Amino acid sequence: MKDTADKTAFDVNHWLRQDQMPHFLCPGCGHGIALRALVWALHDLGIDKDKLAVVSGIGCSGRLSAYIDANTFHTTHGRPLTYATGLKLARPDLHVVVISGDGDALAIGGNHLIHACRRNLDITCLMLNNEIYGMTGGQVSPTTSEGRYTSTTPAGNTEPNFDACALATAAGAGFVGREVTMQVLALRDLIRQAVAHQGFSFVEVLSDCTEIYGRKNDLGASPEMMLAKKSAMRPFAYRNTVDVPFRANHLKTGVIARNERPEYGAAYRAMTAALRDGGAE
Amino acid sequence: MADKPNATKNVLIVGVGGQGVIMVSKVLAQLCQADGHDVKQSEVHGMAKRGGGVFSHVRFGPKVWSPTIPEGEVDILVALEWAEGLRWIKHLKPDTGTFIADCQKIVPPFACRNRKRGAEPAYAPQTPEEIIDQVHAGYVMDATGMAANLGNAKASNTVLLGALSTVLEFPEDAWQDIIAGTVPPKSVEINARAFAEGRAWAQGGEKRIDVTASGLHKAHSEVHHPQVDTVVEITAEWCKGCDICVKMCPERCLRLNGQLKAELALPDLCTGCQLCSWLCPDMAIKVTNTPITEPAE
Repeated sequence: MKDTADKTAFDVNHWLRQDQMPHFLCPGCGHGIALRALVWALHDLGIDKDKLAVVSGIGCSGRLSAYIDANTFHTTHGRPLTYATGLKLARPDLHVVVISGDGDALAIGGNHLIHACRRNLDITCLMLNNEIYGMTGGQVSPTTSEGRYTSTTPAGNTEPNFDACALATAAGAGFVGREVTMQVLALRDLIRQAVAHQGFSFVEVLSDCTEIYGRKNDLGASPEMMLAKKSAMRPFAYRNTVDVPFRANHLKTGVIARNERPEYGAAYRAMTAALRDGGAE
Repeated sequence: MADKPNATKNVLIVGVGGQGVIMVSKVLAQLCQADGHDVKQSEVHGMAKRGGGVFSHVRFGPKVWSPTIPEGEVDILVALEWAEGLRWIKHLKPDTGTFIADCQKIVPPFACRNRKRGAEPAYAPQTPEEIIDQVHAGYVMDATGMAANLGNAKASNTVLLGALSTVLEFPEDAWQDIIAGTVPPKSVEINARAFAEGRAWAQGGEKRIDVTASGLHKAHSEVHHPQVDTVVEITAEWCKGCDICVKMCPERCLRLNGQLKAELALPDLCTGCQLCSWLCPDMAIKVTNTPITEPAE
């Protein structure tokens, strides 16, 4: 994997299944921007389409794998990481990228996420966080902000929300990052670092759900939502500032954590090879 | 305390934040004070590159009554940046004023409003020769270049102090002592050399322009950005009319048509920045920039 490809020659249509386009996402959905950033990062790394496997779960984010012209799996709800774990152990030569949503990765698949982080297998997990279950009708998700209205919290959400990056860091993920969709180039570079990292890498993409979440909470159209998301973040350059006089920072963006631990796949293969040799004697 | 000037001497120091305007005025004020003058100094430092002012007034004499210099009463104008010098030049005394400027250019953001590729920044067009002709005495020097040759471009303000010292009648040792006491201890040596170099350069004549300064306005063409032919293709079948490209375009050249599909309304304004294509969630916009090959001369 090298980072020397001609970055200007990127054509998104080369990576998309043209017969599936236009995609099914609502107007202004941030997932489309995340999809572009993902395939752009893969292009920049010079990854061959035949050596790429994209695994996704259920939900709006789950449908993205259908549009990428590579080896793709559309799996069960919350379990893309388990499919990806088996795939990567069986075919270590493939680059395995998991596209998951906030409900997919944190609620139904929360257990699988923490164990994937703990195991540190060389998978890249892209969690598209739009703070809601969009496809199933706008129910509250683990990342819905406090006070927001959804179809299951008609009087406002009273639960505190999840910091997914803190969870992944604590569970031992090798690489943890977060970015907003507004910063396409930064998001692309973050995904590029995540895919290049040897070990489990977790990237939280703060996407926007305009049609359901934005409409229900009166957050404006997608441009307003994207700009609001961007200005609510604390960028990398202001990482070490203690006081925040001019803006209420909620979450940090950029690379959140790097944890250089032994990659699980190599250790697993070494052990199975040793057992096989021992059994033959 | 010999030979005090009869009237108040006015020195105005201008520049951009971080260049050392305050340090220059501090050295000058301390020197005058040590020499027995009455000194008043007042300063404003507020984002020169955003349109604000970074300047420092130093007035000294037997008795100074007011800390600010009236327009047209400045004896010596020291500019740490070329355009800032031009901005304050009308404050100079028309007949006897001395203009000392660094030819360093710091192009402010509002000079780059034309974002077309290959566009020239709207920086001050005056040449050093034109300016030198207008003033009684003038020095346009490449202080930053001289300081960089000595090892640290930050010492450019001390180079200008060296030039200033030739206009004022204080002994060189007194200047050097004050500078050594003001600058950080590890940079005392380089500042001493910068001062000596600036002083030696300014002693070469009353109206001097550095060779680098006369090439000042060729700097733009050295950085060659090829002009490009921009083509914006919008796939109407894929566009869902989310309005992102229309709202995010820095030049406001896109719009939604009657069918709520994005279209390029003002192609002349488009700079080919590609932001719309990056932010389009529907992959409907494609921007291609083809460099225009210039005809051979």
